[in-house]
Amino acid sequence: MDLDKNKPGTAPARRRYVTTRRLDRIFVELAKVYRFNARFFREVWFPPYEFKEIIKQCYEIGVRSLPLISLTGFIIGIVFTNQSRPSLADFGATSLLPALISVAIIRAIGPLVTALIAAGRVGSAIGAELGSMRVTEQIDAMEVSATNPFKFLVVSRVLASTLMIPALTMFTTLVSLLGGYLNVHQNELTSLSVFFYQVFDAITFLDIVASSVKSVIFGFTIGMVGCYKGYNSSKGTEGVGKAANSSVVTAMFLIFIEELLIMQVINAIRAF
Amino acid sequence: MSSADNKRTVIVGIFTFLAIVILVAGIFTLAGQQKRLISTISVTAIFDDVAGLRTGNNVWFSGVKIGTIKSINLYGDSQVEVVMNIEEKVQQYIRKNASARISSESFIGNKNIVIDGGTQRAAPIQDGDRITAVSPLNTDDLMEKLQQNNENLVAITGDFKQLTSRLVKGEGTVGALLTDTTMAQNFRGMVDNLQRTSESTANASRSLTAFTHKLNSPDGLANQLVTDKEVFQQLKNSMTQLEEATASTSEITENLRTASSRLNNNNNAVGVLLNDQDFARKLQSTMQNLETGTEKLDQNMEALQSNFLFRGFFRRQAKEQAKQKEQQQSQSAPQQVQPKDTTQLEFKPSKLIEN
Repeated sequence: MDLDKNKPGTAPARRRYVTTRRLDRIFVELAKVYRFNARFFREVWFPPYEFKEIIKQCYEIGVRSLPLISLTGFIIGIVFTNQSRPSLADFGATSLLPALISVAIIRAIGPLVTALIAAGRVGSAIGAELGSMRVTEQIDAMEVSATNPFKFLVVSRVLASTLMIPALTMFTTLVSLLGGYLNVHQNELTSLSVFFYQVFDAITFLDIVASSVKSVIFGFTIGMVGCYKGYNSSKGTEGVGKAANSSVVTAMFLIFIEELLIMQVINAIRAF
Repeated sequence: MSSADNKRTVIVGIFTFLAIVILVAGIFTLAGQQKRLISTISVTAIFDDVAGLRTGNNVWFSGVKIGTIKSINLYGDSQVEVVMNIEEKVQQYIRKNASARISSESFIGNKNIVIDGGTQRAAPIQDGDRITAVSPLNTDDLMEKLQQNNENLVAITGDFKQLTSRLVKGEGTVGALLTDTTMAQNFRGMVDNLQRTSESTANASRSLTAFTHKLNSPDGLANQLVTDKEVFQQLKNSMTQLEEATASTSEITENLRTASSRLNNNNNAVGVLLNDQDFARKLQSTMQNLETGTEKLDQNMEALQSNFLFRGFFRRQAKEQAKQKEQQQSQSAPQQVQPKDTTQLEFKPSKLIEN
């Protein structure tokens, strides 16, 4: 019943929206996200544990993504080093290139690039897969057949992405540093030992811990966003496409937001 | 579990293992580089200013990295206590009188602490010891001095600009020297003169060298003065005589001074003659009277010669004188001598006065 259709003398109709229609939708969506996350954290601790599915998802998310992410990381290492050189050359400080590459790749580029590529590849795959399962009512069928679809589909994928994105980040970081070394060696004739000495001289344990924590959070975000979007996709083929697209966009957006917040926290810890 | 699932599991395991290996290798490399896996001792130093030093920065000794900064704490009113972790194996090389200073790994690089100094007489440093801190060269101070230098440089270049401008315009001596050809020629002449002078000086120097060489020869005076005792004794006697002569001269000088002082007084004849003006006027008047008297006497004598009473006397006198002269001439020379004019033998009292 619309508010403008109330007639004088009759009891006022109940308000349809708490705030506005759009705001109410956002809050409802947030509540759904909260419930989805809460359900994950409830179900992850209790059996049955779907190890087989988790391994399968780890293979799909981690091993199958390795060539793409490694190649991207290697190219980024070369390009970043090459683009940074002129700025340092202005100060006659090209010998500081390894330190610059180290700080940039280990602190930011490694986890971020890995997460963004994984969001594009893995997030969209999870969203599309779960969306199509929702559209074809396979999830409903699993519920009917006394199988917990959330545990089988969501928990396994989120755990796999949470575990595999940090592993991919390690590979990406190493390969990016090797790419940087290749460029530095070509131009400055720096040896591998000196390069890695300078790389580790510029960083601290906090940088490694921060990078690892970030990649875990990014992995969880990618898995959770993909699963949420796919698990709650609307019916129809259009819903599958929307779920896949929305998974990528939302995951990337959240990754940048998280990067910003984590950076602030880490800087505060470093200053302390 | 099917073989495909098994293979997939193994691959995932290898993948995860490799990722963990990369992480662990990185952690151990970092720990090794930051000296976290070796036994260390803790050493402190109190600085007035740590210039941006941070926890984890390196500690160097003789160009070798020996530890890291463990903590940085404010100390006292405005000082800073820096705690350093130093490798235990280098403990024996660092002495208690070593000093720590804050340095920089490069111009734009991280700060670090450099430990230097320390003598072998001092004991090796121990865990918990505090070493002397040397205040670092503050970048702000450095920049301030650089700014002062820049200002001085600007002033110098400004002055130099004015100077060169005046030189170009031909102002001043140097400007004229550069532009005025006449002055340049004069200057060239001056340089030539200088060259000649220097050549003369060189010749003089050579002569002086030869002279001194002669002086140094065994037969030379200087050498004899130094070595010959007889010459020295003669010289000593001469000096004694010279001293006596000097004493006599002093006595004479004293007598002269006394005489001259007496001449300045009027209590003696010469003093009156020299100093008394009245007497001088009287004497002048007397002399004038005397001159007048002699003139009149001259006239009287001339009149007397003309007198017939005395004319014979004067003639005889003239003849006797002529005879004496002839005799003298005949004795000295046989030739005939003309008799002298008798008028020359005339007695003139006025000439006597003039002489």
